[in-house]
Amino acid sequence: MTNPVATGAGPMPVAAGIGLRAPHIMRVLAEHPSVAWLETHSENVFAAGGPFHDALGLIRRDYPLSLHGVGLSLGSADGLDAAHLNRLREVVHRYQPDLVSEHLCWGAVGGWHSNDLLPLPFTEEALRLVVARIGRVQDALGRQILVENVSTYLRFEGGDYTEWEFVAEAVRRSGCGLLCDVNNIYVNSVNHGFDPQVYLRAMPRSAIQEIHLAGFTRKDNLAVPLLIDSHSRRVAPDVWDLYADAIALFGPVPTLIEWDQDIPELEVLLDEAAHAEGVLDAHRALPA
Amino acid sequence: MPTAPSLLECQRRFMAALYSPDACGPVEAIAGNGLEPAARLRIYRHSCEGNQISALRTSYPAVLALVGSAFFDQCARGYRREHASHSGNLQVFGGRFGDYLATVPQARELPYLPDVARLEWLRQRAVLAADAEALPSAAFERALAVQDRTLTLHPSVQCLASAYAVLTIFRYAMAPGEEGLQLPDTGENVLLWREDGEVAMAALDAASFACIEALARGATLVRSNTAARAIDPAFDQPACLGTLAQRGLIVGSVPNDNLRESVSCR
Repeated sequence: MTNPVATGAGPMPVAAGIGLRAPHIMRVLAEHPSVAWLETHSENVFAAGGPFHDALGLIRRDYPLSLHGVGLSLGSADGLDAAHLNRLREVVHRYQPDLVSEHLCWGAVGGWHSNDLLPLPFTEEALRLVVARIGRVQDALGRQILVENVSTYLRFEGGDYTEWEFVAEAVRRSGCGLLCDVNNIYVNSVNHGFDPQVYLRAMPRSAIQEIHLAGFTRKDNLAVPLLIDSHSRRVAPDVWDLYADAIALFGPVPTLIEWDQDIPELEVLLDEAAHAEGVLDAHRALPA
Repeated sequence: MPTAPSLLECQRRFMAALYSPDACGPVEAIAGNGLEPAARLRIYRHSCEGNQISALRTSYPAVLALVGSAFFDQCARGYRREHASHSGNLQVFGGRFGDYLATVPQARELPYLPDVARLEWLRQRAVLAADAEALPSAAFERALAVQDRTLTLHPSVQCLASAYAVLTIFRYAMAPGEEGLQLPDTGENVLLWREDGEVAMAALDAASFACIEALARGATLVRSNTAARAIDPAFDQPACLGTLAQRGLIVGSVPNDNLRESVSCR
């Protein structure tokens, strides 16, 4: 178990942000849209140099920033990619993001990468592995990271924990923060048939430092309902409801709108962020 | 009751199934819950394939425009089966797509296609390359005078010699004119670099290309000049390199006795 040192560069505003994606960079630079904070995939700044660094350097001056990793593969049974971790350390040092996050999953083994977020079995073996890895990453970066619960399309037989127990225990044992993806909870509740309220209530409130929201797609023509976490459309009404439940339960939390496929105009993302802001506002107004 | 595979064994078999439809994956460890375990694994194979094909489409827009979506995706699927991704960063996936296309029988009708892909990969390398400050002009002039030195080119500088008019084809693929393309019957030697955050490209005469390519490989000024003059005895090295220097593409100068290995060109 690791006791992490300081958290990020500053407290992330408890407000709604959007994922910074390539089609919007020029507009963000030129128009400086009114949004509380931005998040980019850590790997987008892994290049040695070039225009994305130039842009992010300028954007960083004006917006709180989160770096969200998609390729570190915390749960690989045969080890972390040391070069990947080292590059992450360098970009964290360069941009001093307010939050740094990774996924509670695996994506690579034997030097082969899936470039995807793959499911872990909810076993003690897997739990110990990810707890040790989170500790190693936090040690390497010299700061706390957040880990995100992922959408999944299969479950392994057996296991020692439910998913929500696994997530909560990984956070508790490692001392990391939690990036609670409310859409992923909803997607998994449909895909695996559980009550998302049970999941929400099992999350360690004090560790939650960020929430993700995104749109899913429905896979038809299967014998069972199946949702794909496609990040390709607006947040679904049921997910907005679950988000409101989450904010009622946890209190206001920095919330990010993610969109990665069929990326629409910037206004659509800003509109989704405004919707999240409305939910946050409703709970800010309540007495503590 | 069979013993559950270890996490490592499970992940190895899972990964194999993501790259090959013939690998069954750790199906006995997967709960079907209304679907065949294999069908659940297929969702992941399609997702993994989709992410990697999408990365190739981003890196190879001209190849995509030249061959169309269906054939591109077929090639992309074939590529990923032969060249698995070895990084969690998709920006480095796909570097051998040009070589792979050269092995695809159906692509032989477009013999220039592998070089178009190689050009696109060098464009990606140019855009992601490190930043570097230009060598001050006085230092550049001194290096030229000494000659027994190497020059360090800007990290974004890339060179591609092709038997095809690869730059002309690339430009046509990205912005086809109404009149169609009259393909030159000579090859093109392309220099790529980054300028104002974008990739710039130019087709060079053979002597200039030989000089710059030799410098990029770490040759001294003397040797690079010799290589160029073997092609064109009237080659003017100071003029050629002066153009590079004006664009900020000469970033260092190293004495010959302290040679560094430096390879940034194919």
